[in-house]
Amino acid sequence: MIIADNLCKQFERTVLSEEKKGFGKKGKQNGKKETFYAVDHISFRVKQGEILGILGPNGAGKTTLLRMLGSLMEPTEGSVSIESKDGNIIRDPVELKKSIGYLSGNTKLYHRMSTREMLYMLAEIYGIEKSEAEKRMEEISKVLDMESFFDNRIEKLSTGQTQRASIARCLIHDPDIYIFDEPTLGLDILSADAIVSFMKSQKERGKTVLYSTHYLEEAQFLCDRILMIYQGKIVKEGSPKEIMDACGADNLRDAFHYVMEEVEKA
Amino acid sequence: MNIKRMGALFKREIRDIFRDKKTMIMMVLLPLVLYPLLIVGVALLSTAIIQSQEEKTYTVAFEDCADLEAEISEILSKEQEEIGYSMEVVSKMSCKEALEAEEIDAYVSMDQKEITINYLSAKERSVTASGALDEALDIYKASLTKQQIEAAGLDVDEILNPVKIADKDMSTAEESIGSVIGMMMPFFIITMILLGAIYPAIDVTAGEKERGTLETLLTLPVTNFEMIMSKFLAVSCIACVSAILNVISMGAAMAFLVTSSLASAADMNISFDFAVFLPGILFTILVMMVFALFVTAVCMCTCVFAKNFKDANNYATPVMFVFMFAAYAPMLPDVELTVQTAAIPVVNVALLVAGLFEFNYNYALFGVVLASNIAYSLLAIMVLGRIYNSESVLFSEGFSSVKLFDKRSEMKEKQMPGIGDCVLLMCVVLLLMLYGGTYTQLKLGFGGVAVQQAIILICPLVYAWYMKADAKKLFSVKVPKIKGILGGICFAFAGFLLALVVGALLTPVFPQSAESLKAMDEMIKEQPAWALILVMALMPAIGEEFLFRGFLMGTLRGKCKPWVAIIVTTLIFAAYHMSVLKMFTISIIGLGFTVAAYMTGSIFVSMLMHFINNGVSVLISLYPEQVGKMFPILMAESLGAVEMLVTALLGVILAIVGWLLVKGKKKTV
Repeated sequence: MIIADNLCKQFERTVLSEEKKGFGKKGKQNGKKETFYAVDHISFRVKQGEILGILGPNGAGKTTLLRMLGSLMEPTEGSVSIESKDGNIIRDPVELKKSIGYLSGNTKLYHRMSTREMLYMLAEIYGIEKSEAEKRMEEISKVLDMESFFDNRIEKLSTGQTQRASIARCLIHDPDIYIFDEPTLGLDILSADAIVSFMKSQKERGKTVLYSTHYLEEAQFLCDRILMIYQGKIVKEGSPKEIMDACGADNLRDAFHYVMEEVEKA
Repeated sequence: MNIKRMGALFKREIRDIFRDKKTMIMMVLLPLVLYPLLIVGVALLSTAIIQSQEEKTYTVAFEDCADLEAEISEILSKEQEEIGYSMEVVSKMSCKEALEAEEIDAYVSMDQKEITINYLSAKERSVTASGALDEALDIYKASLTKQQIEAAGLDVDEILNPVKIADKDMSTAEESIGSVIGMMMPFFIITMILLGAIYPAIDVTAGEKERGTLETLLTLPVTNFEMIMSKFLAVSCIACVSAILNVISMGAAMAFLVTSSLASAADMNISFDFAVFLPGILFTILVMMVFALFVTAVCMCTCVFAKNFKDANNYATPVMFVFMFAAYAPMLPDVELTVQTAAIPVVNVALLVAGLFEFNYNYALFGVVLASNIAYSLLAIMVLGRIYNSESVLFSEGFSSVKLFDKRSEMKEKQMPGIGDCVLLMCVVLLLMLYGGTYTQLKLGFGGVAVQQAIILICPLVYAWYMKADAKKLFSVKVPKIKGILGGICFAFAGFLLALVVGALLTPVFPQSAESLKAMDEMIKEQPAWALILVMALMPAIGEEFLFRGFLMGTLRGKCKPWVAIIVTTLIFAAYHMSVLKMFTISIIGLGFTVAAYMTGSIFVSMLMHFINNGVSVLISLYPEQVGKMFPILMAESLGAVEMLVTALLGVILAIVGWLLVKGKKKTV
């Protein structure tokens, strides 16, 4: 189980204001720094075997939230912890990362390596024994149907093959929690379906999946629970059915529009 | 730190770098191909050109001087071996036209007793022909002189050579060649190590960001330290290999050159022992390996701010420029490895290597150079660690830490400089001081000191103007309150007294060279009091304050914690005085300046303090006797324990009073 406790992340941004100097004269540009919360005191828990979807418009704070959950970013306040199967609470970022498989559009692969070389390197970093690593790589290449390009340099692979190599990267240490940031963005139907079925299969294996997406139909069909966030805050939480019922909508897309309109009005 | 994880990351970085063609070309191909091409190729080419010139026949003519033509023609054919060229004399109706039409290479004309060689300086052939004619005419002149002396019945040898002058080079062949190698080698090797390190440094920092693998790396269970160290070690290894390849390749090219020139001068019977250079080469490799660490850290610190390869190249260019400029040091006259220069990055390594080939083995200075390079590398790694901890650098699209690189028209009004701007400005000032300042001081003496101070003032002002900085805020231009001024004065005297005690304590440990003190005294004695006050007290109070308490502190104020800004400003201010003893005393004095300027938010306070401090020193040197009578402690050769204690106590009390006065309001600008 992954626990987000009162998480928030503060950033600084420069707001430019133009100082008018009268007709025909060039205005002076003044930069003023201000702080804002990209993630504003968010708490939740995701159970084992659960798929949690994080929805929200661009700039809502989805990526920042997932980066904090994946220990890529340090929260300004609050904490992330994992409760392992034996009940231990893990808080150390390095230890947390050992239990997490993180995939986003920004986690590219090492182009000058082959998938096999990359997985070897990762196994070494995760502290997996060589024989065990070889066994897992064999399995992964079979499950993801990667045998034909397993030894090709990643820069030579097609988009779909690269995506499968990316999934392989998350699988090598067999983590308990998967964090996927818009994993199907920009993929063709086949590649996107492969990812969706991968998430489903992991859920069946009792793994926890957190993922953000803009594809609401996909989320409606896949997620056990949804968090809708806006300006860093949770504005709606529940199962897809609960949210649709609460909003009086037939599908998650309409429910999403309804929630966002309500929030903007408020 | 987990060695296994770091090892895995290190292996990946190395593999990645080795699979990058650009790096391999820069690291292996360039040193292995460039030196042979550059040194051996050019040598062979110039020999071939000279040989072909010798084989050519040059055509010359004589204008209306038949007697001279006969004499010179005879000399040209008889003495061809001495002149070195085959010459053909032809007759032309108009020699001038023939020369212009390039039918002949040169011609001789005669007006009474004045002989003129006419040639075209723009034509290589013509220049060679005129040289040959010149030589022939010299032989002719010598024979005429000889004839006339003999006609007068005198002894030719006695008249022409009343005394015999000979010069004998006491340097061995190894020393002469070593000095030439020492002059050239550091520049080449430093440049090549830089080229060897810069591409992998870009690749592991900005390149990783551009390829999008940095975020992937951050998902792995590794600490930032492990990540940085694996990258640093990988690039260092490449830079070290590059260093070794460069030294060996250049050494081999030089050896070829020396061997071939010795073979061509075989009749001179010069003995040459390559083995004497072996310690120098081994030491050079060692120094260059340590230097490679420093270069790596600096390159990585610079490139980590860039968002992509192109950007990183732009950032790296000024770094390369500064390094190459500093590597030029051994070619300058009178710049030698001393305790001061041994602490200046890049310059110290260049001078050390130059010294090694001149067989100057000063092990104490070697130690200083090695230690300072290790210290700078560690410092740079620490900075790198901080940068890698900064999420704004890792996750942002990169930002320009050096505002100077932005287009001026696109610059924001009233912006503040970044740390990169400070580093660049400090490097520029240091190099200007080292080269321009030393030069002007040598040329102008005391006036040169004024020029140095002007440089220190102008640099931060021009930089701030160019980047459209908020000058008022950056330079803390604010009228101080009376309390602040009084606090500053207390600090100034406190600093002076405490520095006096520390100076007295440390002088036996770090004696100041009597020579430099004497030179300073002599320079001061010749000047009028007003000039001394102006150049030694007022100008530093303005210039140095604008640079250190203005630009440097003003930048750091907004970027780091107060104590970090104060300590860094103080230490850089002290280091700039380039003396081990002064490093301690000026740190104390400078700390007072910095704290006062920081707390009062006014540069005028520290200017006043600086003026008081320097002014008192000038007064002491102007009126030593009067000062000695009034304050014997200031002129005492050494201080007793009680005197020290009292002075220190007084200093501490003044410092506390000063602190209470300046701290009144904690409001900072």
